[in-house]
Amino acid sequence: MTAPIAPEEIGIESAGRFPYFSDLALSARVAAVILAGFVMVAITGPLWAPYGPAAVLVGSPFAPPSMSHPFGTDDLGRDVFSRVIFGSRAALITSVSASGLAVVLGTVAGLMLAYWRGWIDELGMRLIDILMSVPPLILALLLLSAGGSDSLLPILAVAILFAPRVTRVVRAAALAIVTEDYVTAAVTRGESALSIAWRELLPNVAGTVFVEFSIRTGFAVVFIGALGFLGFGAAPPSPEWGLMIGEGRSSINASFWPVIAPALSMAVLVISVNLFTEGLARLIGQSGRPSIRE
Amino acid sequence: MARLILTRAILSLVSLLAVSIIIFWAVELLPGDTATRILGRDATPEAIAVLRQQLQLDMPASARYLHWLMGAVRGDFGISLTADRPVLEYVQGRAVDTVTLAAVALTLYAPLSLILGIWTAVSRGRAVDHIVAVFVILGMCVPDYVVGIFLVATFALALPWFPPLALSDQIHDLPSLVHVLFLPALTLTAPMTAYAVRMMRESLIDVLGSGYVQMARLKGLPPWRVLLWHALPNAIGPALNVTALNIAWLMGGIVVVETLFNFPGLGRLLVDSISLKDVPVIQASSLLLSAVYILCNLAADIASMLLNRKLGLHG
Amino acid sequence: MSLAVATLIDVEDLRVEYRIRRQWHEAVSGVSFSIARGEIFGLAGESGCGKSTIAFALMGVARPGSRITSGRVAFENHDLLTLPERELRAVRGARISFVPQNPITSLTPSMTCGRQVAEVMHFHGRARGSAAIRETLALLKQVGLPDPPVLFHKYPHQLSGGQQQRMVIAMALACRPRLIVLDEPTTGLDVVTQWHILKLLAELRDRLGTALLYVSHDLGALSEICDRIAVMYAGQFVEVAPRAELFERPRHPYTRGLLESIPRIDRPPGERPALRSLPKRAGLAPGCRFAPRCDFAEQVCRTEDQRLTPAGAPHRAACRRWPVYLSSAAAPSADPARRPLSHDRSPQPGHDAPTLIDVCDLEIAYRRRFWPWRPTADDAVVRGLSFRISEGETFALVGESGSGKSTVARAMLGLVPVRAGSVVFEGRDVTLPIAQRPRRLKQLLQIVFQNPDASLNPRHSVGSILRRPLAMFHRLRGEAARQRAVTLLSATQLGADNLARLPKQLSGGERQRVAIARALAAEPHLLICDEILSALDVSVQASIITLMRELQRERGLAYLFISHDLSVVRWLAHKVGVLYRGQLCEIGRVEQVFAPPYHPYTELLLTAAPRAIRGRQAIPQAAPRTLPALPGGCPFVQHCPRRIGGICENVVPPLQAIAPDHTIRCHIPATELRVRQANLAGMT
Repeated sequence: MTAPIAPEEIGIESAGRFPYFSDLALSARVAAVILAGFVMVAITGPLWAPYGPAAVLVGSPFAPPSMSHPFGTDDLGRDVFSRVIFGSRAALITSVSASGLAVVLGTVAGLMLAYWRGWIDELGMRLIDILMSVPPLILALLLLSAGGSDSLLPILAVAILFAPRVTRVVRAAALAIVTEDYVTAAVTRGESALSIAWRELLPNVAGTVFVEFSIRTGFAVVFIGALGFLGFGAAPPSPEWGLMIGEGRSSINASFWPVIAPALSMAVLVISVNLFTEGLARLIGQSGRPSIRE
Repeated sequence: MARLILTRAILSLVSLLAVSIIIFWAVELLPGDTATRILGRDATPEAIAVLRQQLQLDMPASARYLHWLMGAVRGDFGISLTADRPVLEYVQGRAVDTVTLAAVALTLYAPLSLILGIWTAVSRGRAVDHIVAVFVILGMCVPDYVVGIFLVATFALALPWFPPLALSDQIHDLPSLVHVLFLPALTLTAPMTAYAVRMMRESLIDVLGSGYVQMARLKGLPPWRVLLWHALPNAIGPALNVTALNIAWLMGGIVVVETLFNFPGLGRLLVDSISLKDVPVIQASSLLLSAVYILCNLAADIASMLLNRKLGLHG
Repeated sequence: MSLAVATLIDVEDLRVEYRIRRQWHEAVSGVSFSIARGEIFGLAGESGCGKSTIAFALMGVARPGSRITSGRVAFENHDLLTLPERELRAVRGARISFVPQNPITSLTPSMTCGRQVAEVMHFHGRARGSAAIRETLALLKQVGLPDPPVLFHKYPHQLSGGQQQRMVIAMALACRPRLIVLDEPTTGLDVVTQWHILKLLAELRDRLGTALLYVSHDLGALSEICDRIAVMYAGQFVEVAPRAELFERPRHPYTRGLLESIPRIDRPPGERPALRSLPKRAGLAPGCRFAPRCDFAEQVCRTEDQRLTPAGAPHRAACRRWPVYLSSAAAPSADPARRPLSHDRSPQPGHDAPTLIDVCDLEIAYRRRFWPWRPTADDAVVRGLSFRISEGETFALVGESGSGKSTVARAMLGLVPVRAGSVVFEGRDVTLPIAQRPRRLKQLLQIVFQNPDASLNPRHSVGSILRRPLAMFHRLRGEAARQRAVTLLSATQLGADNLARLPKQLSGGERQRVAIARALAAEPHLLICDEILSALDVSVQASIITLMRELQRERGLAYLFISHDLSVVRWLAHKVGVLYRGQLCEIGRVEQVFAPPYHPYTELLLTAAPRAIRGRQAIPQAAPRTLPALPGGCPFVQHCPRRIGGICENVVPPLQAIAPDHTIRCHIPATELRVRQANLAGMT
């Protein structure tokens, strides 16, 4: 048995080592594998999907699942399975770009507000409060109402919606460290604000930023799906999941597969994103809660 | 205390004003001519001219905004482009319906989250905790429209316990209200509760590990006293914060749920009017929805201030 | 110790393990001791030795991540370690109560203080309702809290640190327990408050017959009130003895090393650190755990386990060589490295040494955010501050927390705006905010902070931390920078292998050295040290002090040394300024300030400071009165034991020059002070 050890010495030997995959909790590992699967499908799907996304009447309408149509067909006789595969590509691309954009904007804003504090911070926070006092879906609908169904617009709208939330989180994380002595030491050295934000602040909030990105991606999938469901996302016959759910809803008595298949895929994707994020966050030492809802 | 409430109320009003600006200008910001956009490319020049006159598009935007705002304060939102009736008529009844739905959802939400949150925090690691955790994940990740569809498929179609559509003319009294609105309210409550439970649980677990809770235990106090008087008051803060955020989400969720259940509320109205490009109705319903949201927030703020006061928490 | 003394609690072979990354390590290895009724038993040791774990075990608590693997705690015919939870609850708070380290984290923020005390009585059935309130008020008075009816309804954050700790002590006393376990109760409190709390505890024991288990790393505090003291090292007791015996004739080398490391006001510390630094993770070594650091160790010490054995009863020591050790320790140490070092402090710069920095009438105040914008005279944090530091000199600024000393440091650096007065550094005015300072100025004025955990960016390696100032001030890059970084590290006695390490891989003392190296990298002329020792263990403090001295000798550095610890200041500084509430009460050369006549506040600090263990000094006390804080008058008037009346409240005391370099700000003429304080001569 090893000699007694002061609890304070705990971190000393393991510090500095890059986390391994096996350090993640089991649920997070499973989630990561599932996510990887989704990405593979999104990238390679169009190569091996049995039918094109808009191919009509490849089977009789509302056919139940079978060998040639694993998820059955919808009201126009389209293969649900293929549509779901094509839809996964849209889902991933739109959500990742929307949240990526939001995170970049939000991080820059959050760091700036935290560093300068004072009246800039007050003003910035007021602006953010105001932006956030419009219920998000409503703001999105407004932005989209006059814009038509350009596929870029939902991404932009979502990014604008999410950026203030990211700003809040990053600002909170940065505020916690901006008063630390090592930042003061940098200030007394005469480092410029940009240099301090980049060298001192960012590495210490990087974990938070990455977790935020992950969380936002999950939300983006749901949100963009909601827009599609309401009919404000991509236009038919796009295989967008939300749209598929919205379209299939009215004929749910005839066959629920056109609704269930995309719904299930979306649910699995979002659950995997969330579980993976949590596991990652716990590993990095964050609080690990995707708590800031919208 | 009263001063704080007044300040909050004034801030809310300012927010509402700012929101009105955003709502008004969101439509204005887009390139191209508004009237043409609304009527489409094949519109005749006369139709466009009539529309322009109806919407007073020849006035500068800021003047139009003020005009609209003045009218809104009086309750005059203009004339609906599609129905040719004053917007107010449309909107009144629906506003009440939406508020009712929101109220039912919130009434379900509050006690449920509290109880589940405390229960799972205290039984950490046991079966209950894991089961609830699964529901929490589902509630957080599965989109509300999917939950709604699933609930309808199970409890309205397969098992005819509840009506699949929530039509307001079926509501006469309280029992029928609950019966009709149960599924929609549940759909709304599920994600909100999931977040609140998760937050409550984490914050309570955190507090249960704190120095003062340990001290309370070391004083030999019975566990219920430690939980309810030392731990809970200090753990409830983040849950209240999350509630404020949940309310923001609720407004969006209402739009989806009303569409799903065909419930004649403001949300449905907004969606329909956007499809119809009925600008005055769009503006009116968004403004009202935002007003409901801001009001809910104000209520939540005041409630939390009162609660803080009672529990002796400070800033 | 007579056998007739009744034993209150008996601990037998206690073993506790901690779990770290899936492996269990033993933190407490077979500790046995007993406490008699009404006895004050001290448990001493450095951080991480396991003493807090024992304190919790006595309450029947295994801390999170630990488990009690064996042992017995016999109290009132029960074994506390096997008692069911329900009965343990009846014991806790009522028969044995606990006073933890940090009062603010032990008081529930949402409940009034009075309720927290009363509920202990209520739930143990001692008193309910209004009876409980009455008893609580009486209790608050007993622990020395002013104005009990008002304090009853206050919330914890509205009380000062000392008041909070008294409140916790009241909670502990509520049901008249037989034993109170205290875990570092005075750490973090200033020296005067600490003195008062210790006095209170001793009084309570005398009056109520309560036994105390007092756990602390501060041997000075233990020396004030304990009857018997046990010294712990690496999970084992190495020595148990009555107080006087322990301090005068310690039987274990570790105890002596510990005693010698403590900076004491009346005795200079030895040159070489008395204890070599704690090795990281002592390996799987059978035999005496202290052997790697022991000067007396023999082969047999490394192979055979040491147990506590009688070493001249009632003294017990875990060292087989104690007779040898004792006799060698009795003779004054011939070891030249152990020579007291007072004359090894770098020589006082002569009068013609050029002045490095001249502060004149400095006034600092925080701006108000909203109206009224006009600042009033009495919200100044620092007022009328004047001092001068010459090249190569160490000037210490001493004061309690809240005295404004850290604010002065920040003002020197330009982080806090200066409202009035001048600061001239090497002939240039430096009351500029940091953004407007020329680079050269920033370079010549550097700072080392108090908390080594917070002053280094956790994501930067040591090498990158050092390279930054080298790049910024000297434009060094690449290999040249690396070489210089290595030089800096060795100047602070760290090896070059530390360059790649992250701060969390270093101990507190090593981190502080890196912070010093970083400050040196700029090659400053003046180094501001803001409480750099307070967060470090006693043995580490000694080595840092030595380092500071060496650096001053080699490089001619001047220091502005900010501290609350007079004992350290005594042996490090050339000149001292004593700060109270933002005003300088006394300033002069070290030997002048540490000899009468003293300003009454200096007098208070000196008598409360830990020193030789015989008995307790009575410190002069002021009858507590809450006087309004007036803009005029002496800032110390509320607590001054020597105040002479209205003049102290209304008229700002004049500066009295007692010697060319020595001034005191007091109404009482110096000659009279000298007379009144004559009994204190020879105190330091």
